[in-house]
Amino acid sequence: MKFDQFFALAKERGITESQIQVTRSKSLAMSLFHHEIDNYNISEGQNVIACGVVNGKFGSCRTEELDGNTFEFLVNGIIESAGVSEKAETAELFAGSEKYHKKNVYNPELALIPVEKKIALIHQIEDDLFAYDKRVNEVESVSYEEHEGLSEFYNSRGLKLKQKSNYYVLVGAVDGKSGEEVKTSWDLSLGNDLNSFDEKSFVKGIGDKLVAKFGGVQCPSGKYPTILENDVFADLVNYFISSTSSDEVQRQSSFLIGKLNTKIASSKVNIAEKPLTKNVFFSYFDDEGVATMNKDIVKGGVLKTYLYNRETAKKDGVTSTGNGQWEGDKIGIGYGNIFVKGSKKPFADMIAPIKEGVFITEIAGLGTGMNAQSGDFSCQAQGFMIRDGELAEPLNLITLSGNLLQMLQDVKGFDNAMKLNTDSITCADAYIKKMAIGGK
Amino acid sequence: MISKSLALKVLNEALATGGDYAEIYLEQNDSQAVTLENGKVETSGTRRSYGAGIRILNDLKSVYGYTSVLSAKSLLTLAHDLAASFTGTRKIEVKSIEKQRVKVTNPIEDHLTDVPTAEKVALLKECYAITASVDKRLVRIQDVFANNFKSIEIYSAEGEIGKQFENTEERGRLVMVAAAADSGKIETNFQGPGRYAGWHYFKDVLDWKKLAKECGEKAILFLTAKECPSGRFPVVITNGWGGVIFHEACGHSLEATATAKHLSVFSDSIGQQIANPIVSAFDDGTIPNEWGSNNIDSEGHVTQKNQLIRDGICVGFLVDKFNGRRLKMEANGVSRRQNYKYEPTSRMSNTYIAPGKDKAEDILKDTKLGIYVTNFGGGSVNPTTGEFNFSASEAYIIRDGKVCEPVRGCTLIGSGKEVLMNIDRVADDVALGQGMCGSASGSIPVNVGQPTIRIKEITVGGRGGKLE
Repeated sequence: MKFDQFFALAKERGITESQIQVTRSKSLAMSLFHHEIDNYNISEGQNVIACGVVNGKFGSCRTEELDGNTFEFLVNGIIESAGVSEKAETAELFAGSEKYHKKNVYNPELALIPVEKKIALIHQIEDDLFAYDKRVNEVESVSYEEHEGLSEFYNSRGLKLKQKSNYYVLVGAVDGKSGEEVKTSWDLSLGNDLNSFDEKSFVKGIGDKLVAKFGGVQCPSGKYPTILENDVFADLVNYFISSTSSDEVQRQSSFLIGKLNTKIASSKVNIAEKPLTKNVFFSYFDDEGVATMNKDIVKGGVLKTYLYNRETAKKDGVTSTGNGQWEGDKIGIGYGNIFVKGSKKPFADMIAPIKEGVFITEIAGLGTGMNAQSGDFSCQAQGFMIRDGELAEPLNLITLSGNLLQMLQDVKGFDNAMKLNTDSITCADAYIKKMAIGGK
Repeated sequence: MISKSLALKVLNEALATGGDYAEIYLEQNDSQAVTLENGKVETSGTRRSYGAGIRILNDLKSVYGYTSVLSAKSLLTLAHDLAASFTGTRKIEVKSIEKQRVKVTNPIEDHLTDVPTAEKVALLKECYAITASVDKRLVRIQDVFANNFKSIEIYSAEGEIGKQFENTEERGRLVMVAAAADSGKIETNFQGPGRYAGWHYFKDVLDWKKLAKECGEKAILFLTAKECPSGRFPVVITNGWGGVIFHEACGHSLEATATAKHLSVFSDSIGQQIANPIVSAFDDGTIPNEWGSNNIDSEGHVTQKNQLIRDGICVGFLVDKFNGRRLKMEANGVSRRQNYKYEPTSRMSNTYIAPGKDKAEDILKDTKLGIYVTNFGGGSVNPTTGEFNFSASEAYIIRDGKVCEPVRGCTLIGSGKEVLMNIDRVADDVALGQGMCGSASGSIPVNVGQPTIRIKEITVGGRGGKLE
């Protein structure tokens, strides 16, 4: 596309500064059911987001249709959008950061692995899941997806940035039966180096999780010392990080108002954003063209920074932290590659001192059970009782309730089971002094 | 969006390797949203989603692909690449395409896309003023009006004569969110009425003044709410949005996506009693101008009123074309998708528990100690185990038949089989509530609904200790 034509048309129509981002993507996906490929998907897509400044006001427009009229459509959309804006702040686009830490995270080998090999891999996973335990009743699905994307950023101030990336997602899901009891288990693997995927341990993880669930009971309602498995803790940390958005804080919608540089969590809690980590979530510029940077968010329990884009940074008299991200029709706040520091302690050592507690391995319904403004949450959970320092009977159909800030203040420690989840959060299992469990 | 002659070529390319059904789904969706923050226009944006999805079925196999480039070359390449995943020889040569008549069951006279942004802004400003006047502790008020206009063309073939369908969908939604803060506590309230309707409905029929006031009042009320108790006790659920419990506890588990592969707790339930005999339930995509209604589904089938449960007996599933093959059941107009990037599958539209004979006030009066749930955030379900959860955004304690203090942080969990049998009272005040449902084929607008019901015992989670 000839973006100079877009900038020229925008200028001609009174858009003093303009920006255009184009994302091209393609994907391949397939899934197995009963030893046959029952679903095979391929796709190619494109998405254009444009924004600009008209009389100091910000406007935006986006489309997936690229033809001779696209620039006209985008320019008209920006003018209409900016025309009704009542924001007091004067908008301006970004000239560029001093330095960008560009890395090549695209793995060309992934696409070169023959499709037949990928199909053989999911067949192998399915066969091994069926054979794992006689209680495996059905392999609900084994699927492989591969995505490739190219993001391009241009603005009328001459800033030009590009990033190419790719990744795969492998998912295995089973259900099992024991008498009348039905249980499910699943897991996924995410990365862009398929050669390092460990099929045997992937299958074992899903199978072990399934068989351990049989005989689940409800514990009495009450407050228990609680271990949150890494995936569960990551889900909760994700909401906490959302609350560090300066936009939410400035709009008085975050429980972190006025908490900057104060102790908000146990001194064991250290959380950092490291967008420059070389993995599938790597990103070296944000949606305003600002260079991203690694930074501490919570250090020794103290809140060190909010996450800023250029507009919110200006309001607080600081500089952008490189966290500008499209959020509907405006550039809001986003993040990637969050790390919560773990310890060297194995899981068994961490739970050893717990006389009676719970180990939560799965939660459901947090999306609607979380009040992101107050940090209060309540959701469905399952896991195990902990008795005399060891895992005991499985727990099913219980609820986990708490408050995010209270939870972080009650962190007693972490083990060494670090895991990267799909929301780009890497953390270990967390030991919380006490949490409310609802059961019988 | 494409010519009939190109569609014919693409269908034949797709069917070249033995596919027994091919379909091209073309879509242009223009949407607009205006957002006010504390009474001032924060953003207003338009976006266009545009593309095509091609699907080929071959017995129990399905291949699907999409592209946002609608040129002949792009569509023929996609059809060719998809067809290459089958190795057979042609069974069907499509010779012609006949346009099908689509009956408009959701008429709209005044299109939302024709309404000037300034008029929408004026309405939102009135909403803001009403909410803001409730209390000074309301620190953030958001008012949003979002609307979309979707044009769809479907070409499908499973024989010599292909079919062409054209349809449009148009929906609007008014969203109000109020956040109240006091002494370090923050509570929010959400109102989000939506409809397959024009501007007249939103401006003149919908009681937005009442909703705007309620939005502010409830955010303030819950600032002083106690934490919800936990344990197992009776729960009375109000009409309308309360139907999310049926949506999660049962609806998803009756979708052919789950039942066809025997992955649902209700896979073998047709003819079986799965609910208390006082419970009957429907999924009805034909209710004129409702949020989940449509003239036709994503495969071109006319939408239907499908009974799912009659007097506690399971009498039907929601069946799309592909999963219907495994079930040996006919598709019943429920195949839906978010957009062309998703392969369509069986989904709910307007799903509700039918009215019973009780009165809501009698149900409350007859409950000594329990929880009264009047609004929800939403929920989720594992269709295989039937275990579901949903979170109540507004709940109150019932003592001696009276609605008492509000409680916050309330989650209800259970298994679909258990909870449907435990519904012991059904009132006559059925109503619908609007939401977005996320599942295999993306996020789609659905109505949930029910009259006031009572569940005689269900697990309630909260941080408030025992119910006393």
